Amino acid sequence: MSVLSASPVARASDSWSVGRRLSGAIRSLILTSIVLAVSGAAAIHSASAEIGVAYLPRQAVWVLLGIVVMAVSALLDYHFVLRLAVWLYAVGVVAVTLILIFGHEAGGARSWVGVAGLGGQPSDFAKLATVLLLTHFLGGVRLEMLELRHVAVSALIVGVPVGLIALQPDLGGAAMFGPILIGIVFVAGVRARLVVGGAAIVLLLGGALFFFGMKDYQRERILSFVSPQHDPLGAGYQIRQSKIAVGSGAVLGKGYMQGTQSQLRFLPARHTDFVFAVVAEESGFLGVAFILGLYGVWMASGLRIALRARDRQGLLLAAGLLSAIAAHVLYNTGMVIGLVPVTGIPLPFLSYGGSFTLFCFAATGLLIGIDRRRYVNRARAR
Amino acid sequence: MTLGSLAPPKRSGEFREVLVARLKAAGALCATAYAIVVVGYWYHQVVRAEHYRQLAENNRLREREIQAPRGLVEDRRGRLLVENVPSYSLLIDRNQLRDRGASLAFAASVLGRPRADLEVRLASAGGSRFEPAVLMEDLDLEQVARFEAAAWEHPEFSVEVTQRRLYRHGAQTAHVLGYLGQVTQADLERAAGALRSGDLVGRNGLEEQYDQRLRGRDGSQVVVVDSRGRRIEQVRRVGALPGQRLRLSLDLELQQVAAEELADRAGVVVALDPRSGAVRALLSSPSFDPNRFARGLDSREWQELVEAPHDPLQNRAIYNAYSPGSVFKIVVAMAALERGVATPDTSVWCAGQKRYWERPRRCWKRVGHGRVDLHEALQFSCDIYFYEIGQALGVDAIAEWARRFGLGQTSGIDLSGERAGLVPSSEWSQRARRSPWYPGETISVSIGQGPLLVTPLQVAVMMAAVANGGYLVTPHLIEHTEPELRPIELDRGHLRVVHEALKAVVNDRGSGQNAALPTIELAGKTGTAQVIEQRTWTDSDTLPFEHRDHAWFASYGPADEPELVVVVFVEHGGLGSRSAAPLARKIYERAFRVARRQGV
Repeated sequence: MSVLSASPVARASDSWSVGRRLSGAIRSLILTSIVLAVSGAAAIHSASAEIGVAYLPRQAVWVLLGIVVMAVSALLDYHFVLRLAVWLYAVGVVAVTLILIFGHEAGGARSWVGVAGLGGQPSDFAKLATVLLLTHFLGGVRLEMLELRHVAVSALIVGVPVGLIALQPDLGGAAMFGPILIGIVFVAGVRARLVVGGAAIVLLLGGALFFFGMKDYQRERILSFVSPQHDPLGAGYQIRQSKIAVGSGAVLGKGYMQGTQSQLRFLPARHTDFVFAVVAEESGFLGVAFILGLYGVWMASGLRIALRARDRQGLLLAAGLLSAIAAHVLYNTGMVIGLVPVTGIPLPFLSYGGSFTLFCFAATGLLIGIDRRRYVNRARAR
Repeated sequence: MTLGSLAPPKRSGEFREVLVARLKAAGALCATAYAIVVVGYWYHQVVRAEHYRQLAENNRLREREIQAPRGLVEDRRGRLLVENVPSYSLLIDRNQLRDRGASLAFAASVLGRPRADLEVRLASAGGSRFEPAVLMEDLDLEQVARFEAAAWEHPEFSVEVTQRRLYRHGAQTAHVLGYLGQVTQADLERAAGALRSGDLVGRNGLEEQYDQRLRGRDGSQVVVVDSRGRRIEQVRRVGALPGQRLRLSLDLELQQVAAEELADRAGVVVALDPRSGAVRALLSSPSFDPNRFARGLDSREWQELVEAPHDPLQNRAIYNAYSPGSVFKIVVAMAALERGVATPDTSVWCAGQKRYWERPRRCWKRVGHGRVDLHEALQFSCDIYFYEIGQALGVDAIAEWARRFGLGQTSGIDLSGERAGLVPSSEWSQRARRSPWYPGETISVSIGQGPLLVTPLQVAVMMAAVANGGYLVTPHLIEHTEPELRPIELDRGHLRVVHEALKAVVNDRGSGQNAALPTIELAGKTGTAQVIEQRTWTDSDTLPFEHRDHAWFASYGPADEPELVVVVFVEHGGLGSRSAAPLARKIYERAFRVARRQGV
């Protein structure tokens, strides 16, 4: 069957597109993602005020682009997108490989490419492509439980980009593929002994990586997480400063642009991975609760969409996208208060960064698309 | 969540219910993890808020930048041209400022400045109000001591030691070295994190050209400070990477001789080694003192500099282009020999005047030179001879040879802001003036007048090519760069004819006699470029200063094995033979006396 035989954009005669109001879940997704992105832009502005580089206008451009991406991915039929998955995945892997060879170093890792002077990270594109290919593959498996070969192929699909990204070396970026694999495979069904076996392999690989594959600074971050008091002024410095920033924000916060800890440049990476510390310091627990509440609404809406998705593909795709976003939110917010080791993982919608902002909006758009097609007759889509 | 009647139809093989059940389980797991995060924030921000408030207040860890010492610059013999000296800045912490009036009154009394002045400086200080602002720079040690002594009553003041550039030879090397200036918004964007606001970056000269090499990389340190922000101990340190030291090809002594001899006249001296393009002296006068930039200019001082007569900020050697005058006859002679328009034996009768295209053209010598051949024409700079061969060549052939000798294009020296000058041709006339080239103009160009414009550095490159047997060099100020020599296609025999004539200019009754040295044979060519058109034979020295001719002397020596090219240009200097040639002699005297002493 030709890839292009089905119309990528559903026709007006499809029941979903005319005369039907947007579902509550869709409205929640759109609203929360935009409010989050605007809050993020404000926080980025505050966090970068002292650096002297105007990040706000650039992030504004990315958010506007993101909204366009969200609209487009909501209009596309996700079955069509899934049929393109192999090609998108190939493009993603090639891009990540090219970065490995030609990319320029930023903060010790070769991951950023200059795209029209704004900077983009191909690993975010690869992340999306991996979710799509994994869904495409497991969506076609008509079994209650996956067999060993399905799990192995899934691991391979995830393993290729993960390996390339880890070589950059961007361990944080690579690690965030894990929840995608686990999320989709878990929902698709996997036997307990496979889980145990997989965990053993991951532990072995992780151990090997820790002792042989890591750079000193990465190993130190993990050690300082395990025992922050061991070296409070070296690698633990960032966690400590971040916690002071968050804690001293108290209930009401210190006011916008008034965060002494953030403004005093105690905090490295405060407009990217640690932007939430700035939010926490300047707007207090109220602001934190508001933002975390928005993420809660976003994820609950996404889950609702996944649960009522029309078919297996839709359900798995929604599950994969949810896993990715939820993992980023959980890891990043946890990292800021020292619950998990520090590594370069951005906060969806809030952190400065072009490609990841686009990823988040694309995921939102795909979820919307899944929900809008939940009544469409199967025969018509095929 | 009720799916109820909205639930999609069941399909076989999808195992929907199982999937939904697992998804709910995964969602529950996530929600639990999420709840832990929320509780974590609640714990830190509500339960432990007071603890962290105190920690923040007494955050005794400060991350501070360690300024990387900027690279030093030395001349070819290792004599220091630029160094770093400690400089004391007065910082004011706006958070600790309780009685603004009293504080400023105290600072004003120590600094001996009006309080209003400090008010203005404090009001205009940028940056975050959480960070100390620089109130005054370049304090002397007594002032530093008085602020340190008053630390208890005035904790808002502190003194910071930074490094300031000291240009040891001030105005003498100003155009070569450049100076430092505050980083701009555009620089910050371009540097993508390598610079931060408040940094100093190279502006003009080598400070700009080799900014990255000179800058090094700043380090950082985390220090424990007391409640007054004073440092108690250092806990972590990432050392700064000092900037590289630059060894120049410049010879300080020659540069100084040039500066002393040119004194307050506007002009240029360029000396370079024709074998490599190594620049030995590059002086543009009038100049300025870059140390004033290092201390920080206020707007009034800057205005003064910008509006000063003769543009002291401009590097005339590379930025200004002038008519080359008779110096250009070297190029026209080579073009004529190469194109076969003239041979060494071609002779012309000079009667002191001749009509071309219905306009009388004069030779500089009123009574005429009589019959002259090519050698004599160059030796005595006979204008009529060059009118003749220039007319025969045509402007395009002249332009081609001018370009071959490096005119009309930037030389590629390691300084920014170089101009290409202008070599006119018929094609240029059509393109830039939208009018045809008039043959009468070719007559002017043949003696280096008309629209033709060259920079003094280009003349030096041209002379180097004549001196080194026909190789175009790329002039450079940094020592030890591989010499870049591009051969010009020409007949060495023709070049020898020119060599002999240029020797005669200096040593045999020619216009360059004022440059002659008793021990070393030099070769050269004078030039006198008209600033305004003169219809009669007048001595330029009698004209008002700004109408006087520009004086040129382009030379090399020793004549038979050239080691040095010296080009002297004096704005409104009158005759090249009178004002420019003697200055060149001083350079050679110093260069070869030094060379002999060191046995080079």
